[in-house]
Amino acid sequence: MGRPLIHRSPMPGLGLSMGITLTMLSLVVLLPIGALLLKGANYGLAGIWETVNRERVWAALFLSFRLSLFAALFNLVFGVLLAWVLVRYRFPGRRILDAAVDLPFALPTAVAGISLTALYAPNGFFGQLAGEIGWKIAYTQWGIFIALVFVGLPFVTRTVQPVVEEIEREVEEASATLGASRFHTIRHVILPMLTPAALTGFALALARAVGEYGSVIFIAGNIPLVTEIAPLLIIIQLEEFNYDAAAAIGIAMLLISFAMLLVINLIQVWSRRRIGYV
Amino acid sequence: MSDITVTKGAPARFRATTEESPLARWAMIAAAVLGLGILVFAPLIAVFVEALAQGVAASLASLATRDAQEAIKLTLTIAAISVPLNAIFGVAAAWFITKFDFRGKAFLITLIDLPFSVSPVVAGLCIVLMFGTNSFVGGWLVANGYPIVFAMPGIILATMFVTFPFVARELIPVMIEQGRAEEEAALTLGASGWRTFWTVTIPNIRWALLYGVLLCNARAMGEFGAVAVVSGKIRGQTATMPTTIEMLYQEYLSVAAFSLAAVLALLALVTLLLKTALEIRHADQLAATHRH
Amino acid sequence: MHIEIDEISKSFGTTAALHPVSLSLPSGALVALLGPSGSGKTTLLRILGGLEFPTSGRVMFDGQDATGLSVQDRRAGFVFQSYALFRHMTVFDNIAYGLNARPRASRPTKAEIARRVTKLLELIQLPDIGARYPSQLSGGQRQRVALARALAIEPRMLLLDEPFGALDAKVRKELRQGLRDIHDTTGLTTVFVTHDQEEAMELADLVVVMSMGRIEQIGKPQDIRARPATPFVREFISA
Repeated sequence: MGRPLIHRSPMPGLGLSMGITLTMLSLVVLLPIGALLLKGANYGLAGIWETVNRERVWAALFLSFRLSLFAALFNLVFGVLLAWVLVRYRFPGRRILDAAVDLPFALPTAVAGISLTALYAPNGFFGQLAGEIGWKIAYTQWGIFIALVFVGLPFVTRTVQPVVEEIEREVEEASATLGASRFHTIRHVILPMLTPAALTGFALALARAVGEYGSVIFIAGNIPLVTEIAPLLIIIQLEEFNYDAAAAIGIAMLLISFAMLLVINLIQVWSRRRIGYV
Repeated sequence: MSDITVTKGAPARFRATTEESPLARWAMIAAAVLGLGILVFAPLIAVFVEALAQGVAASLASLATRDAQEAIKLTLTIAAISVPLNAIFGVAAAWFITKFDFRGKAFLITLIDLPFSVSPVVAGLCIVLMFGTNSFVGGWLVANGYPIVFAMPGIILATMFVTFPFVARELIPVMIEQGRAEEEAALTLGASGWRTFWTVTIPNIRWALLYGVLLCNARAMGEFGAVAVVSGKIRGQTATMPTTIEMLYQEYLSVAAFSLAAVLALLALVTLLLKTALEIRHADQLAATHRH
Repeated sequence: MHIEIDEISKSFGTTAALHPVSLSLPSGALVALLGPSGSGKTTLLRILGGLEFPTSGRVMFDGQDATGLSVQDRRAGFVFQSYALFRHMTVFDNIAYGLNARPRASRPTKAEIARRVTKLLELIQLPDIGARYPSQLSGGQRQRVALARALAIEPRMLLLDEPFGALDAKVRKELRQGLRDIHDTTGLTTVFVTHDQEEAMELADLVVVMSMGRIEQIGKPQDIRARPATPFVREFISA
């Protein structure tokens, strides 16, 4: 109890900066989320359960989560590879590739959505190629998968890149002098060092994908039980002015988000404790 | 240096012990180029190809329609309001968090980061539930002639929600790294609080601030999910560029949809260009890790 | 093992790090490569360890040409200046690393590995730290773990890059004796790099003074002190 709430400091602006921070945080983020939780509380756990426990809702939540997981796994592997290539190798066009990694952050989701649809639709560039072997991408779960890979692409690369930059050459050399082959070094020394950052990026990509809407709805086809994602269900409920049901699904998604936020923090605590750095 | 002998032919096949074999290296580079080519470059190119499918004139004509013009105007207005507000928040929050020691700091940072892990659709839903006509606050506001949902304030709130952490997140690590010594020095020299802020702090963080504002702006102009929920998508009134793109696309007005999309894609390219330039020229002033 | 360095030179691009140098290190010697930074001493050590390859010249181990031998096959116990411990592994796993990295056919059994690691931990007089992570050790302890890890592969020689560089004066004195003891117990040909002339003189049987990529003088400490061969050596050892 001895620790004061706020330590005395000679720095000016405590009241003003604290005031702006807490007021805006409350107004923009906390109160609206509170409104959702309040709505859920009024509706009651039983009501939420009744809404969520329908085939169509379960199918949408399960679809969102499952495809997000696959997309995040793809991005985990590809993102680590990309981080390694961008940091360690020098080749023409490297800077352009490095900048391009951020495009999914910068390109509006609706733009990505219609563009991916144009590419993967049966008459699109990739859609035609895939069609020749009888593979339908747009308006199937494959289309959703590709859109989710797109939006989650930068996360793993951007979390792993700084860690690759910090690996001391001497550690890799030490492994070699001890007789380890390059493959053994990568497998037992380098990858374990990248694991905490890669997992953080994986969780961020997963969280982003689960809530993604704009880039997915165009390419998904939105067939109930097959290609209908959870965020779309909320929109459908809202368009029917069914606020209780929208809130119930929203709370279910919020809980998934909180759970993933918790996982990210646990990964960081774990890696800090074990290795002494994040 | 005349006595260097290179006569005995240094064994050229040796490579540094910390490198992969050339074959593995080139395979990985090829995978990276191919992967990014399909996943990132192809969609980017497709936007422009589709926009120009019927020629430049058709594309420009579609941008000159009233709906498109109104959408562009609305999107610019929204960014012009929400981005500065979030920049003020970001600077204030970074100042509060890095210049003072208080309990619950980690929790506060988690709360600021919260919008990154909330689905934009859920964010929009929250705002509708808070300010919609059938909520207590919303009902009162509508009755007094200040509608929030299906109007501009709602869109601004939704935009601010999804872009909330950008500036703060960029500034906090930079300001932690820079410490408090320079501000303390200015204060001991008799500078006032504001003077210290403008003459010491701001010059030290300006590039990081610009970086955060840039990302915030890109996201603000492109936000779709949250805005789609709160805006009601009323043409000429509450339809932003992204929501207009959706409407045009669903009416099979492909050229018009992609022309508007191309404008946003150009904005994204400019953002990336500026961002890369900042990273090259002012790496020392930016946070070491960039996750967003 | 007897190490013969025959007209070794090394250049990086157009800068010469080593002009052709020749050197014969008798089996079981404790040798110091002494010189200021940029003298080429670390480059020479890394060439011995197989971490760099010479631009010209040969390295002979016991009369056999080892110039092209890969770092993995060289079996040189190398202790890095930063120690380069694997921080995601316990001390035990760090020391066992080289044994676990062997191909299955020549890999010792788990029990044998455990036995050897325990023995090495006793040798460095830190028998109880096997379960700890490097971040939980002091600088001196890390250095000794790095030494044990290098010894675990049953090296043919021991190479140390500024082994005491990152330590404070008191620990440094203790660990000097520790290295001397380990050298005397194992009988390994040992080469260490240092810029500290007192350290070189006190610890080594044979001191190689280097400057600007050339060898200035080779000799026993007392001979170098009594008869410095060049003005540079006189200047450097009196510093």
